[in-house]
Amino acid sequence: MAQTPIYLDHAATTPVRTEVFEAMAPFYGPRFGNPSSTHRWGREARAALDEARERVATCLGAAPDEVCFTSGGTEADNLAVLGGWRILKEKGRKAVVTSPIEHKAVLQSVHQAAKEGAEERLLKVEASGAVDLADARAQLRDDVALCSVMWINNETGVIQPIEELAALTKAAGGVFHTDAVQAFGKVEVDARKVPFDFVSVSGHKLGAPKGIGAFYIRRGTPLEPLFFGGMQDRGRRPGTENVAAAVGLATAMELAVAEREAHWKELEALRDKLEAALVARVPDAMVHGRNAKRAPHILNVSVPGTDSESLLMALDLQGVACSSGSACQSGSITPSHVLAAMGVRADLASAAIRMSLGSLTTEPDIARVAELFPALIQKARGLAGAA
Amino acid sequence: MHRGPRVLVAMSGGVDSSVAAALLVREGYDVVGVTMKLFHDGGEVPDRPCCSLDSVNDARRVAEALGVPHYVLNLQDRFGRDVLQDFVDEYAAGRTPIPCVRCNTFTKFRDLLEKADAIEAPFIATGHYARVADGRLMRGLDDAKDQTYFLWGIDRAVLGRMLLPVGGMTKAETRALARELGVLTAEKPESQEICFVPDGDYVKVLERELPADAPALSPGPIVTSDGTVVGSHEGFARYTVGQRRRLPGGSSEPMFVVALRPADRAVVIGPREELLGRGLVAREVNWLVPTPPSDGAPIQVRIRHRARPVPGTLLRSAAGEVEVALDVAVPAITPGQSVVFYDGDVVLGGGVIERGRRGLPVRAA
Repeated sequence: MAQTPIYLDHAATTPVRTEVFEAMAPFYGPRFGNPSSTHRWGREARAALDEARERVATCLGAAPDEVCFTSGGTEADNLAVLGGWRILKEKGRKAVVTSPIEHKAVLQSVHQAAKEGAEERLLKVEASGAVDLADARAQLRDDVALCSVMWINNETGVIQPIEELAALTKAAGGVFHTDAVQAFGKVEVDARKVPFDFVSVSGHKLGAPKGIGAFYIRRGTPLEPLFFGGMQDRGRRPGTENVAAAVGLATAMELAVAEREAHWKELEALRDKLEAALVARVPDAMVHGRNAKRAPHILNVSVPGTDSESLLMALDLQGVACSSGSACQSGSITPSHVLAAMGVRADLASAAIRMSLGSLTTEPDIARVAELFPALIQKARGLAGAA
Repeated sequence: MHRGPRVLVAMSGGVDSSVAAALLVREGYDVVGVTMKLFHDGGEVPDRPCCSLDSVNDARRVAEALGVPHYVLNLQDRFGRDVLQDFVDEYAAGRTPIPCVRCNTFTKFRDLLEKADAIEAPFIATGHYARVADGRLMRGLDDAKDQTYFLWGIDRAVLGRMLLPVGGMTKAETRALARELGVLTAEKPESQEICFVPDGDYVKVLERELPADAPALSPGPIVTSDGTVVGSHEGFARYTVGQRRRLPGGSSEPMFVVALRPADRAVVIGPREELLGRGLVAREVNWLVPTPPSDGAPIQVRIRHRARPVPGTLLRSAAGEVEVALDVAVPAITPGQSVVFYDGDVVLGGGVIERGRRGLPVRAA
């Protein structure tokens, strides 16, 4: 316990990067102005905001007017699904299509759209963890208003066939949204290369602070705002802009783009090492998503005869921070809807441990967890066997 | 820094378990706080002593203030099976269950104990008013708060791992200590009701869990013990032995529910003397002492929470069932409630009351 704690939960959140913190500092000091003000303080803030928007746009292969700042991924997802649905239903399109492995921000927004009259369609998911394209071809018909599928799944790291899904949706005349909260900084998210219409990005997964996100809106895509009250962000997102956080987000996104390939290789090497060590020591460990193309920062593993709740406690008490699927508001663990959708047996789904690597992860961390985890597993199983 | 042995503390966010945790921290234990999530509150039970978001937050803040880790454990499935379902089944069978007993037996001191095992905690602690000394379960020092009536069902092997830090104090002392220790929930009001029953109205739970045409919630006769029908009712599960309210009038003396008879859905009523019992049969008997009392042994018997134990005799004991004679007549020996046996302050064991007996039972040949 005296050892340094190990943070293996980068998919949950990341520390604010020093460069980001420094870039934001002036806006908590002398450059405190409101970008909507006409005076010098306002102009200074406006200049910073405009520049941040340009930089974010560049990172997404987009034009500045295609970028909107939000409070984060959840707001961006709500804006995409509900803002898209509410205007597209006027055009006689009735279906909202998504996958059962989405983040709750998308799933619950789609449920809300269904309450507002949408026909909710869930795409099939293969056992590998990827959305079934054959099913997508069947379901993305010309009555589709909007299709939303995440780029990289936050629990398994499985990369979804976004280019194909975007193309299929466009061919059906619908609008395509992707939640790229886990993807940005891992894969190339470029509006010139992939025909998506809406993209959600979250700052705090990238070393920017919590409470800021970017939302991409392809030029000409209809969108109804969720909030009302001002003309900020072209009326798409009224409210005084969080200038400091927008500057922080722009900085973090630029760094993520610049470091993307090297970061991928580094994380992949560490993750593969950890995975190999765990599977070698616990041969019946099941690595979720191992048969699909996976992002390098997530390792989700279930060991038969254990449960995530106990393992997470035991790991935390040893100073290792991991997570299971999604935690509910009270902090108690609920079985993963993602693993269930992949057809993972309930007892294995409730044993899932997600380790997510990132900027804080080092070789010695991986070595220590590779030792510790199997030892904890052995104890957990010994107990289960004795019971 | 040297730390004492690890203890998993069940923290509800209330005063008793908060003080328990604080005392254990003060004594040098390696305290790990947990709050159990036992059922969906689903908006139906907005402000319950445990399980509500507020309670979890209270417990988390107390743990934070004590500088100990805190986790929320989801035991909904098992609690639903072992406690909630049994609660419903018992009422449907015309009995009056005590879910707290089963929660202690199965949820706290079995399922939660498994979590303690998983984090290699040799001890488990709660805020119960009871004591463990020399491997024996003993009544709490505060007679008004003693909770041993709810603890008879736990596995005897668990006693050696139980720490009950407030059992040696009065409630007033606990509150005073809470203030002294700066426990954030020192002024939180007492919780008495069953945690998953909204507004103390257990029938609402039955109406939710049982089919609409369940016999327990369907009309039936109100009869006297000689079979005379004197009225009707809307479901025997709405009645409890000893109840006086909502019964037809017209009798010369006060009438009470003396029995529920699911076979013909009858609620049987009678005058006070029909409520008195001189013995009982109990099932699911569990002994908490290495050598249970032998047949014919004198024994102190408690048939409801806070009632003063009465002297009696253990008539026979076999295969988890016991028959007991009472030296004095006791009112409302209620099937489904617990009977707990004492020797002074020591809890010998207990069981679930199967039926009471009006006369002195005859010893089986």
